[in-house]
Amino acid sequence: MDTTTLIPIFFTMIVAVLGLFTAMRPEFTSARGGKILAFVALCILPVLSVWAGFDAQLDRSTSTQFCLSCHVMADFGKSLYVDDKSYLPAAHFQNNFVPRDHACFTCHTDYTMFGDYKAKWRGVHHVIVQYLGTIPKPADIKLYTPYNNRECLHCHAGSRVYEEAAPHHKTPDMLARAASNQLSCMSSDCHEFVHDVADIGGAAFWKPKAGGQ
Amino acid sequence: MTPVVIQRNIRWSGRLIVIGLVVQMLSLLWTHPLAFVCFLLIGCPLVGAGILFFLYSLVSHEHA
Repeated sequence: MDTTTLIPIFFTMIVAVLGLFTAMRPEFTSARGGKILAFVALCILPVLSVWAGFDAQLDRSTSTQFCLSCHVMADFGKSLYVDDKSYLPAAHFQNNFVPRDHACFTCHTDYTMFGDYKAKWRGVHHVIVQYLGTIPKPADIKLYTPYNNRECLHCHAGSRVYEEAAPHHKTPDMLARAASNQLSCMSSDCHEFVHDVADIGGAAFWKPKAGGQ
Repeated sequence: MTPVVIQRNIRWSGRLIVIGLVVQMLSLLWTHPLAFVCFLLIGCPLVGAGILFFLYSLVSHEHA
């Protein structure tokens, strides 16, 4: 367990002990010092604790482990290990183009002001479907909207390999059209192989060496 | 509101907050979407209710 989780847990524990003390001995609040203690223990510290807990929860909900903990996502997790460079997520994951422990979120958040919160709100919807709705087949899972090039260009814009690659200059305005999202990076004949979980059964898989994930 | 009633309200608000914080602690020990939902739908409302109940008992206090 890392410090980003341990610190909120310890802080919450201390706040809970203080709250418990105040709840068990409310007669302390008849004195001025007791009133201040009660206000701190039952108002200020719990707010700070929930804030810290929310931050920790939000941070861990961006982890690959978190995303793949639902059974329906297992094939999407496997697709990261497909031994084929043309599979875009696999190429990104295996070559550390995205952090492996935050692989899903890195590509599937919106790089906008409230993009992280929107992504998490969609995640809450997924959890509701997982436990209360009809779980779709992995192959039937689609994006809500077509993938926006903004998410690709968050990392690739300005990089030499992206701007100088010959396939990115098939037409003079190709980069400009990609930047304005008129031409999808995932168009056919470009980076069209994404997770493709429907065809993953016959694929060969990369096995990381010991020490890798 | 008498001091006895205020103390009873403080006791209840403290209980709500402590239960909410315990739920929060447990949810932080488990990396799973259900833990996130427990935190959001159980922990946060319990702590929020405790805080609001405590604040209500303060503002509804009438001096004799």
